[in-house]
Amino acid sequence: MEPDSPQSHSATYAVPPGIASVGGRFISRGRLTLGALYWLAWLIVSPRVIVSAGVQREIEALGVGALRLVASASVLVGLIATFQIASQLTAYGAEAMASRAIGWFAARELGPLGVAILVIARSAAGTAGEFASMSAGGELDALRAMGLDPVKYLVAPKLAALLVALPTLTVVADGLIVFGGWIGNTVFLGYSTHFFLEQFRASFDVFDIFVGVGKSVVFAFIIGVIAADEGLSVERRVDAIGNAATRAVVFCLIGVLAADTVINAIFYFIPGLT
Amino acid sequence: MRGLTGPADRPIIVDIDLLVRRGETQVVLGPIQCGKSMLMRHLLGLERAERGVVFVDGEEYDPTDGNDGLLRRLRTRIGAMFEGSALLTKLTAIENVELPLLEHTDVTAAEARETARELLAEVGMEIAGEVTPAELGRAARRRVALARALALRPAVLLLDEPTLGLDPHTAAEFDETLAALQPRHGFGVLIFSHEVRYAFGAVEHIYVMAEGTIVEHGDRDAIQHSGHPVVRQLVDRRGHQ
Repeated sequence: MEPDSPQSHSATYAVPPGIASVGGRFISRGRLTLGALYWLAWLIVSPRVIVSAGVQREIEALGVGALRLVASASVLVGLIATFQIASQLTAYGAEAMASRAIGWFAARELGPLGVAILVIARSAAGTAGEFASMSAGGELDALRAMGLDPVKYLVAPKLAALLVALPTLTVVADGLIVFGGWIGNTVFLGYSTHFFLEQFRASFDVFDIFVGVGKSVVFAFIIGVIAADEGLSVERRVDAIGNAATRAVVFCLIGVLAADTVINAIFYFIPGLT
Repeated sequence: MRGLTGPADRPIIVDIDLLVRRGETQVVLGPIQCGKSMLMRHLLGLERAERGVVFVDGEEYDPTDGNDGLLRRLRTRIGAMFEGSALLTKLTAIENVELPLLEHTDVTAAEARETARELLAEVGMEIAGEVTPAELGRAARRRVALARALALRPAVLLLDEPTLGLDPHTAAEFDETLAALQPRHGFGVLIFSHEVRYAFGAVEHIYVMAEGTIVEHGDRDAIQHSGHPVVRQLVDRRGHQ
């Protein structure tokens, strides 16, 4: 590098690129979050046909479209959880406790986290890729040139759809995980349905469902903001689309797992919350 | 616009002066990658300029200060058609045209639909039912994009490579549609293109751009007889087409 080039000056005083990039990413996501919250509120207060239609379209794509995947995966997760819990507890002669654990574990953890991971796998890459491809194709510029905010027309409908779809899918998944647990307990472990339901009722509380649904709302917001930000902040190049999709999946997974850890820690460390 | 230079951090276009009057068609002609699209992005406020000033219908906009309110207002007076149409693929063709009306005017959804239908008819598109951009051909998508650009009755229309990839007959039809609309709506047109046919077409003024700046400008005759090497290279290319 030449001593007097602008690059050499900026390199001497600049913040290290890695830190600048992470900082820039946080600022960009923060801005997007504020914008999305503003337009979500606007959507509720003053819905316009063209945006409401967008929300409906997104609910169909992100929610209804994921139903089959979530349903089949949830039954399998119920079975897997039953086998895992039963095999661990066999050593203590407490195999029967698998029936007891499945209800609250499904509602508090497996349901919301499983659905979030499935939605990330299915839709986060799609969302980021869609926005990145719109950027490369000039659609985002066209929106801005018309004085239209891409966050209002693209991000807010997706976020609204995720905020409806994820909690709904979580409740469905909770039920189907328990159904998988019932199959595991009755068909494979040999317990009666009466015994399973008795154990399930003894440990399960409706509050568990509220905790799970609350988590899914947080997860929906994280997935929506990160996937959208990754898609919207790419350069206008076709090869950026794949990168945006990959980064969206990675950061959505990290974001959801980090949020889940924090929520679980809060419930563990603050007495009375559980 | 006067003395437009930008983007702020790494100027690609330098000291551009340009005037488009209502009712006139002007062309920024230049080879690919010479900065034409960047110039259009600056005019629309999609890039922050280093210096310069833009006037739209007498109202001044300083593209270096990012005044969002003024920019939003000016954008309603500049219609833009991007290269490749840039229609929103999740919306139908008619919804694409309705969008600026629903955002910037107080019309009802039914009125916006009716206006959109009229605009589409004006650009030669009779769309029945819910047709998405993906179901339309390249030329039809351009016409829908033109209708969308006209939705807010702009003072000036910016068209980036409007006939790129169209066969000569379809391109001529598009030019005719534009020429027919201009007196009716009274907008000025600024076309950004590398297609040298514009140097021989019915346009009032041609700006030849190279390496981010205007190297020559004038009417059709002046450009055809210019001795500037970039202009000669462009104009002489026509003999090979």
